[in-house]
Amino acid sequence: MVYLMTSLPSLSLGEAPPITIDEFNDDAKRELSSRHFKALQSVDIQKLEAKVGVKNISSLLETIKEDLSEVRTAKAQSRQAKPERLPLNALRGNPLEREMQIMQWQWEELQDIEAGKTFTLTEVLVYKLKLQLVERSYSFNKVKGAEVLASVVNPGKNKEGK
Amino acid sequence: MAGIKIKYTKTERARQKKILKVSERMLPLFEAMEKSLMATINTIAERIEQIREEIEKNRKAAEPWTAVMSDSWVNINEYISVNKIITKTIDVAGVRVQQFVKVDFNVMPMNDDTPLWVDDAIELMQEQLQLLAEIEVLKEQIELLEEELLDVRARVKLFENRRIPNAKLAIRKIGQKLQDDERLTIATAKVVKTSKQMEGKL
Repeated sequence: MVYLMTSLPSLSLGEAPPITIDEFNDDAKRELSSRHFKALQSVDIQKLEAKVGVKNISSLLETIKEDLSEVRTAKAQSRQAKPERLPLNALRGNPLEREMQIMQWQWEELQDIEAGKTFTLTEVLVYKLKLQLVERSYSFNKVKGAEVLASVVNPGKNKEGK
Repeated sequence: MAGIKIKYTKTERARQKKILKVSERMLPLFEAMEKSLMATINTIAERIEQIREEIEKNRKAAEPWTAVMSDSWVNINEYISVNKIITKTIDVAGVRVQQFVKVDFNVMPMNDDTPLWVDDAIELMQEQLQLLAEIEVLKEQIELLEEELLDVRARVKLFENRRIPNAKLAIRKIGQKLQDDERLTIATAKVVKTSKQMEGKL
C-alpha cells in the first residue's frame, strides 16, 4: 500500500488525469492484498456505491445520493431544496457550473476524509474516487457536448452532414 | 380553338354562352383560392422561420453549459427518444392537413445517482425536439398546399387561356355564321321574289 501510494501521481480537479482508472486498477491489483483490492472495487462515486467498511466514505456517498434525490424532489415540488450536506450555493448557476461546484464540494469532502489517513486503505479508496472526479471533469468539453446535443435533437441532419 | 369543330346552330351558341357565363363566374373563385393558398403557404413558411429562430435561441442559451453533455458518466441518448409525433387533421384553405399537437417522448426515469444536469438537458432536448417536429409537420402542410396550388393555378389558366376565349370565339363565329345565313336567306328570297315579278311581267 505504501509503495502504491508513493508511486501514484498527484491529482488536481479540473486538470487532465495523469493516470487512467484502468491503469490505477492494474497498479492497485498488483500492490494490494485481494481483500483490499476487493474493497477498492466496491467503491464508486459515479454509481454512489460503497460496500466497504470505511464509514466516512459510505456515509458521504449515501448523503450525495440522498441530497441529489432531495434536489430533484424539491424541483418537482417547486420548493427550495434542503440538502443534508450539499451546500446550497453549489446548486447555483447553469447546469455545468452546478456540476462543477458539486464536484468541488465532493473533492473537498474527500480531502477531509483522507486527512491524517496516510498510507491507509482510506487513502487508496479516496484516491480512486478523486481520480473518478478528475476523469469526469476533464470529459466536459464544449465541442463534444454540442455534438452530443446535436446527435439527440437533430440526428438526421448530422448523418446528412457526414 | 384550332381543330375544334363548331356546330353553327342557335343551340350551340346558347351552350357556349352558358359555358362562358359559368367560366366567368368560376374564374374569380379560383383566383381567390389561389391567393388564399399562397397567403397560407407564406404564413406557414414564416412560422417555420420563427420556430427555427426559437431553436437557435434555445441553442445559444444552452451554449454556456453544453460542455457538460459530454460527461463521461452519462450517455444522454439512453435517457430520451421520440415515441411518436401526435397530430390532428384540420382544414387549411380548403385542404385537409395534419396539425402538430405534441411529441410523445420515451424518457428514462432518473436514478438517485443520475447527475442533476441530465434533467436540464432532457428539458432542453424535449423543447428542441418539439419545435423540430412542428417544423416537419408544417413542411408537410406546405407540400400538400403547394400541390393544391398547382391544381388551382392549372384551373385558372384553363379558364383564362382556353375556356373563356374559346367560348367567346365560338359565340362570335356562330353569331357571324347565323347572321350570314340570315342575310343569304333574305337575299335569296328577294331574288326569288324579283324573278317571280319578272316572270309575271313577261
